[in-house]
Amino acid sequence: MNLTYSDEQNMLREQVLKFCETNYDFTDREKILKTDIGYDIANWNQFAELGWLAIPFSEDNGGFNFGPVELTVLFEEFGKSLVVEPYLSSIVMSGTIIENSNCPNKKEILEKIISGEHQISVAYAESNIGYNFFDVVTAVDEKDGKLLLNGSKLLVLNAANSNQYIVLVNYNSEISLVLVDKESKGLTLQSFKTLDGQTCGEITFENVLLNQDSILAHGENAKSLFNKMLDISILCICAESVGAMTASYQKTVQYTKERKQFGQPISNFQVLQHRMVDMFIETEITKSLLIKATLQLDMNEPEASKTISALKVQVGKAGKLVGQQAVQLHGGMGVSNEMSIGHYLKRFTAIDAMFGNTQHHLNKYITI
Amino acid sequence: MDISFSEQDLQFKEEIRSGLENDFPSHIREKQNQGIALSKDDRIDFHKFLYDKGWAGYNWPVEYGGTGWSLVQIYLFLNELAYANCPTILPFGLNMVGPVIYTFGNQEQKDKFLPDILKFNAWWCQGYSEPGSGSDLASLKTKAVLDSDNYIVNGSKTWTTLAQYADWIFCLVRTETTQKKQEGISFLLIDMKSPGIEVKPIITIDGEHEVNSVFFTDVKVPTSNLIGEEGKGWTYAKFLLAHERFGIGAVPASKVQLQKLKDKTENLNDAELNKNIAELEIDLMALEFTELRCLAVISEGGNPGPESSILKIRGTEIQQRLTELLIEAAGQYILPYEGPEGFDSNRIPAGPDYASESVARYLNYRKTSIYGGSNEIQKNIIAKAILGV
Repeated sequence: MNLTYSDEQNMLREQVLKFCETNYDFTDREKILKTDIGYDIANWNQFAELGWLAIPFSEDNGGFNFGPVELTVLFEEFGKSLVVEPYLSSIVMSGTIIENSNCPNKKEILEKIISGEHQISVAYAESNIGYNFFDVVTAVDEKDGKLLLNGSKLLVLNAANSNQYIVLVNYNSEISLVLVDKESKGLTLQSFKTLDGQTCGEITFENVLLNQDSILAHGENAKSLFNKMLDISILCICAESVGAMTASYQKTVQYTKERKQFGQPISNFQVLQHRMVDMFIETEITKSLLIKATLQLDMNEPEASKTISALKVQVGKAGKLVGQQAVQLHGGMGVSNEMSIGHYLKRFTAIDAMFGNTQHHLNKYITI
Repeated sequence: MDISFSEQDLQFKEEIRSGLENDFPSHIREKQNQGIALSKDDRIDFHKFLYDKGWAGYNWPVEYGGTGWSLVQIYLFLNELAYANCPTILPFGLNMVGPVIYTFGNQEQKDKFLPDILKFNAWWCQGYSEPGSGSDLASLKTKAVLDSDNYIVNGSKTWTTLAQYADWIFCLVRTETTQKKQEGISFLLIDMKSPGIEVKPIITIDGEHEVNSVFFTDVKVPTSNLIGEEGKGWTYAKFLLAHERFGIGAVPASKVQLQKLKDKTENLNDAELNKNIAELEIDLMALEFTELRCLAVISEGGNPGPESSILKIRGTEIQQRLTELLIEAAGQYILPYEGPEGFDSNRIPAGPDYASESVARYLNYRKTSIYGGSNEIQKNIIAKAILGV
């Protein structure tokens, strides 16, 4: 039993913290959100230079072979500053699938991902299936010896900036993951901003031509690979949420010490003190579950998936409490878009909605 | 980071487990399993059993007859006791006054008191709260006035757990009226057989006689029963409270209770209840890991300090929610209730077998968020010490 971070892990944390302090105050972030692509290419290149884009990949593929612990350290720090660069979609989601797939040129693709020049997004959600991702309608069919992709996908993170998409499809009545070029004929894309200022896209495929090499995984392999991707992705956004909760309660404590009403700092009022203690407790309790889930996933323990569902439930509930109370204790400033605090609430709301919300994971927790 | 326990720790756990399986007195085990209140003798038998196994001083250093176990071992030991459905170890001697005596007492006091605490030859109770001093403990008024070789004690203590069985009481008393209320307090050990002591029961809302009022009228206490220095009692009291903190989350006991809840309600197929149970289970899992994080900090030589207030707050909230879910599950069948002893076997009302017990627990466990520093006081501690407001 050892729950302390290694020197290497602490160094990574320091590094991310320093980066965010220098490059990511709230006004920097505001500028980034206003750009068309929705993130800062200079930041992305710096991530590549610092080696962060190589974190989860094996040494054979040009990575550092780090595990969930390092990823959660990175995301916790990202969460404190609400970093919007597409690390989740390009590195965690797509990277996990590519690295563990049958992709014949995976080494080459991963090399380009790690260097920051290539991006891929995972297209899994559809309009009528909710969180039952394997009930996909989008399908690949063989016609005259050709593989044709038809259907549409939504909520594809960072879609407009990606060069390729990994698409969850039905193929021969089984689940498949296929890799599709953005420039393919028959593919159309419409891009949207998300509630928390990021970007996502809706993609329609009309007789998009694929070849056998496009199939990254099929059948049970595809399912387990997709679930593996979900587990690690949920873990990462939960770590991000813990970071955002930490920042939220700390900013709130700071604000109540400065804000004066009735001739004194409002932090003197016990009802506000206890509210902030509740925020602190929720944050710490969530962090505990995060560490437990991280270590279980790191050890490939069979219980890990269940703990991750428990964590997603806790993150959903705690994020709501911390986010809403942070806004409440900031008063009118809390609902002002020019203050950072309301943007944390938006991120908590987005995180809860992704990969299965609180209710979904509570049900999953019960049935696992 | 590494989540697993060492080989030695796992082996230790096995030894405790098999020791409990083989030697835990069956008459206590049966009552525990049926949720029947334990008698005074049952409690004494249980502590004698711990002593015979060499486990009584589980958190004491070896030089005073303790086990000298590591924190991880203590953690595992307490878990195993809970899983085996053991009664709680009464904390007043072993966890409270014992450590105060071996840390601040003189040799004569150590020789006189420690062996009987370990062997449970003496039953101790705690004289802290007073009718006018609850959360504001330092405002206490029970007075001890020096009269040659004795203190003369006058005043009263309240909420004194199981004082009706006690041979000794450790008391915070005021030996001086000072400007700073914490400064005039002293720590006295008082023989419950002393003339002038009167114990009156307080019946709690579940019908149980667990706590008492204790009245002191001109009670003579030899000065040799003063711990440490006169006027330093508050320091010893705070030390004692810190000792009490560990395990206050009652995680293992709640795990056992949760399993019981699941077993009892399994065939109700109540989706809403099952969801509530699942949420509680997740909260308990998170609390357990929070406790492990505190344990890890202490094992590394650190001090988790006020963060352990989280364990008190969340632990007691979970304990209370567990009792609430059980009475919810029992529904209307909770109505027949005549007290914590349940019903005679020849007149048992209809309804699930856990109905009466669930009422007793629900009412009894309201105390958990009040005792040991109310949860509001714990929040004040966190606000001041961690948030700095």
